[in-house]
Formats: sequence, C-alpha cells, structure tokens
Amino acid sequence: MLEIKDLTASINNRDILKGLNITIKPGELHAIMGPNGSGKSTLANVLSGKDGYKISGLMKYEGNDLKKMSIDERAQKGIFLAFQYPTEIPGVNTSNFLRTSLNKVKKAKGEKEIDSLSFLRILKNRSSELGIDEKILSRQLNVGFSGGEKKKNEILQMKILEPNFIILDETDSGLDIDALKIVANGVNSYRDKKKSFLVITHYQRLLDYIKPDFVHVLSDGKIVKSGCMELAQELEREGYNKVRS
Amino acid sequence: MNNFIFNSKEINKIKTKSQKERDFRIKNLNFFNKNGFPNKRQEDWKFSDLREIIYKNFKKLNTKIKNSKIKKIDFIKEFDHNYIIIVNGELHSSNFKFEDKNKIELKIFQNKDFSEENEINPLICLNHALSNSGYSFEIKENYKFKKTVIIYNFFSEDLKDNILNSRNKIKVGKNSEVHTIDFIVNESKYKFLNNVYENLVLDSNAIYKNICIQKDKSLGYFHKFSKNKLLSKSKYSTFIFPSGFKFNKLDLEFNLEGKDSECNLESASFLNKNDHQEIKTKMNHLAPNCKSYQRVKNVLSSDGKGVYQGKIYVKDIAQKTDAYQISKAMILSDNSEFDSKPELEIYADDVKCSHGSTSGNVDQEAIHYLMTRGLDKKESTKLLINGFLNEVIEMIKSNSVKNFVQTKLKKQIHGY
Repeated sequence: MLEIKDLTASINNRDILKGLNITIKPGELHAIMGPNGSGKSTLANVLSGKDGYKISGLMKYEGNDLKKMSIDERAQKGIFLAFQYPTEIPGVNTSNFLRTSLNKVKKAKGEKEIDSLSFLRILKNRSSELGIDEKILSRQLNVGFSGGEKKKNEILQMKILEPNFIILDETDSGLDIDALKIVANGVNSYRDKKKSFLVITHYQRLLDYIKPDFVHVLSDGKIVKSGCMELAQELEREGYNKVRS
Repeated sequence: MNNFIFNSKEINKIKTKSQKERDFRIKNLNFFNKNGFPNKRQEDWKFSDLREIIYKNFKKLNTKIKNSKIKKIDFIKEFDHNYIIIVNGELHSSNFKFEDKNKIELKIFQNKDFSEENEINPLICLNHALSNSGYSFEIKENYKFKKTVIIYNFFSEDLKDNILNSRNKIKVGKNSEVHTIDFIVNESKYKFLNNVYENLVLDSNAIYKNICIQKDKSLGYFHKFSKNKLLSKSKYSTFIFPSGFKFNKLDLEFNLEGKDSECNLESASFLNKNDHQEIKTKMNHLAPNCKSYQRVKNVLSSDGKGVYQGKIYVKDIAQKTDAYQISKAMILSDNSEFDSKPELEIYADDVKCSHGSTSGNVDQEAIHYLMTRGLDKKESTKLLINGFLNEVIEMIKSNSVKNFVQTKLKKQIHGY
C-alpha cells in the first residue's frame, strides 16, 4: 500500500528526514516511535502533502507517485491524517463541513453524493460510538473543543470518510485514560485486511490499546531499529538513548 | 473643477417653504461650493479620498433625473414582510398589511429643522442644500411590529452621472419595537452618487433592529450619514453587509443620551475588485450605564479596500459605560488594503472600554487541514472566507433572515 525509499525532507534549509525507508502492506499497523525532534510529525506532514518541504526519494501509494498528488487528491484517494493539533476553523459548522468533505471523497470515487438525512443518520451513529456529544457537531469546527473532543473528532472524521491509509499523529497526546480507550476502540473497530495504519507516538501506552504489527524507532530522520511490540516495551523501559545506541 | 460646483438655481427648483429654509440651503450650498468634495487632507476622509474618486470617475454630476421608473419589483419571497419602496431616494409606496396602521405614520420627509450646527462634512452640507426627497417613518408608542419591514431602495435604470440627495427620519416611540431591512436594488448600469442623511430617534424602551444588504454588485457610489439618538433603556442593533460597491461610506453617529441604552453594530463584507468601503462610527456615551459593541469584519481580495474608523467617546457623567470595538480583516491579495483607526476618548473613571484591530492572511494551517479532508485549495479558502464572515451572520436570530443573508453572501463570494 505504501512504499517509502530514501525519503529526505527539509524545511528552511534544515534537513529533517534523512533517508527514511518503510513499507506498509494492506491490513498492517505500523507504529513509529521516537524522541522529540526526530522527524515524526514531519513524516506525517510530508505524507499528507503539506507545502513548504523540499523532498527527494520514493513515495508510492497504491502504485502511484505520492509526490505528484496534491493534498486534496491524497485525501480523496484514501489517505487520512489525524492531526496532533487539529486546527480550529471559526465560522464553519462541524456537521456541514463533514458532509462537504464526505461528498468530495465520494465524488472522487465516482459514488453518488449523500443527502443530508442519510448523512445525519451516519453522523449520529458514528458519534455515539465515540461518545461524542451531538451538540459539538453543530458548533464551529474544533473551536473551543477540549483536547479530548478534538481527538475524538479526528477519529470521527476517519470513520466517516472511510480512508484506506490512516496516519495517527500523536493521537494519544492530551487524552485521559478513558478518552484514550474510546479512541483506541474507535481505531480497532476500523481495522481490517484492507486498511493500513501508521501510528506516531511517544509512548507505549497507546500501543497497549492499539496493537501494532511492527514498531519502528525514528531517530535523527531515519528509522534506526524495527521490531514488534517488544521493541516498544524495551523503549519504555530503557529510553530512546539506549535503544538508539 | 467647475463641473462639481452647484448653482444656486438648483435651490430655486426646490419648493422652499420659508426664507429661513432658503437661507439654510444657500448657506450649505456655499459651504460645499467653497470646499468641494472632501479629500484625504481632512482627518475623517484620510483613508477615502472622495474628491479623487469623484474626479476620476465622473465628468459631471446632474441633479436632474430623466426618469424614475423601475422595471419590476421582485419582492423577497423567503419570509413574510411589510415593505416601503423608495425609488431614487423618493418615497414610492408602502404596505403594512401585517400591522395596526393607526400605530404607523409614513410620509414624505419635510425638513422643519434648519438649526443644525455648523457642519464641516461637505457632503452633509450638500445634502442640507439640495435634498428634496426622502421619508419620515414614525412608530407610535407601545407597538411591537409583527413582521419585519423591508425598505426596498431602488435605483432606476435611467440614473447616469446623477447625484441624489435624500433625507430620512425614523422614530420609534416609547416601548415600541421594529425590525427593518434596508435592501438596495440597483437597476442602473451607470455610475451615480447617492448621498443620504438619516436621523433616527429611539424613545425610551424602544427596540430597533436593522439589517443592511444589497441585491447585486453595483456601479453606484454611496454616502450615508446617520445620526442616531438613543433614549433610556432603548436598544439599537444593526448588521451591515453591503459589498460590491464602487464606493460606500457609512458615517454613523450614535448618541446614547438615555441611561441603560444599548447599541450594537456588526458588519461583514467581502470586498473585491474596485470595491471601496468605509464604515465610520462615533459612539457617544452621554449617560450612565450604557453599552455599545462594534464588530467589523472585512475580507479583501484583488484591489478591494476596506476602512474602519471607530471612535468611542465617554462623557464624564457616563459612569459604568461598557464599550467594546473590534475590527478584523482577512487579506487575500497583496493589492488589497485595510485601514483601521480606533479611538477612545474617556472622561469618566468607572468604565470598561476596549478596542482591538487585527488583519492577516488566510491561515495556511487551516487550508492544510481542510485540504487533508478532500477539499481543494479554492474551496478551502472559500470555506474560510465564509466562516470568517459567518461569525457575524450567526448572530442574526431569525433563521429565515439568516438564511437569506447567507445566500446573498455566498453569491458575493462565489466570484472569488
């Protein structure tokens, strides 16, 4: 599904990713762990197509050159980024926005647009699964949402847009244990053979709830070690410095 | 430029009722002819050099209108309403089918007050000198309107290089309430200058709510001076949405003369190519315990220009004043401009007064976020523009009116 070879990325003449390699197959969940400043969020941004990065190397998604695809094209083709800090969008109603977004994705897939009644039904079901108060759906997108509400709203969007490749960028940060469980359940219930995940996190805690198939350690813009769940446990025990060396 | 000097014969064409009136008109005409259209050297006009704008766009300005016929009246169908129809500033017709007509007085405006202080705004002087049309709308005591009154302001097809001077008076009696919408419909495809002087009085406990919007873009040049008097416990609120005018200056003076009176002003405009809009407010807190709030939001594209000059004045006796003013601009183009001049002048010591002004580009993080959800860059920008202005529209309580305004706004943004 995703193949990355020798990926480098720099911003303002500062090299951040320095030759990253990773291959993610359908149905797999990969966790990337790493200390602050190792390039985790840059990887998420680059995969989503964010402007401002100078990039080289190979990035293939379902056989297509990702570098040639715009941000919206990537989203329409099934790439979803759950943001670490979801942006507040004043004046834009959450529910209306979600419907617009879903219809854009549906249109790109050649599917029929969804009418507002059917959409509201889906929205109601999905939001109740995530314990989201319906009131926030009529509020402005992410404006005044608590940290937990913002993260749940990201997972809600994932479940509505039904992407195939999902990047979760530090989705666990700012969540209390109850919210973490709800978010993890949301992710787990969405996993299947066709969907792949790249989960970026600092801590093993999230991986106790979302079991990864592979764990990678990102350090100074490169993957320095790969393994299974045991690697995450080792990191938690020993810290990044020891594992890196 | 002699083309913009008005001969005293213009006053001979107006049926003056007394020598006093004639003297008043002559005095004001002389002032205008001596000073001409205001230019940027005058503090109040520093961001809107009307003289330059007029000289650039008009060769002459005629007071004589060929024909004031309008093609057809397209009434707003979205909600039931009363209406007043104004054509080129003149009262045309009205319908108050939802109301008790004994409580309403609507007639052609006749000025009886020639004692206005020495005016320094040449456009107001020109209006004092030449205005010969307009309406007087009075709501008697203890009457709440059942439906909104839409004031259809038509500008006829034949207007070309004309100057229109009209004056209106609105009075809302004690304990009465009225909601109005000023709806501008321009049928002329040519340039003209519309110069309005408006006087509004809210008696104690009166409520006046107003929305100002236009049907389409226009080649009209608009100036309106509005003097508003608020007596005790009265409430004034206005939403200003016009955009798409070649020139539009709203010069609004509010005198909160009665205790516990409140004044709210909100504005949201999308200013595009060749648009120039200025809102100037002077909020005079003259009595204790009054509240005022002004929020002006502009989105500027192409070479659009927006100006907000807002002054809050608090008299020494106006203790417990609560006044707030904010202007925000979203700038989409390097050629667009937003000027803001907030001023506070406070002589009372127990007051809460603040102001703020921000301007910036479109939030690129927000664009990225929206694009990761499948919207392209243009759609994302439009959504942000709409959201930015929608914050003001959301404050309108009536859903049908809110939807109506939203549709108009979307149409304005559509071309972006």
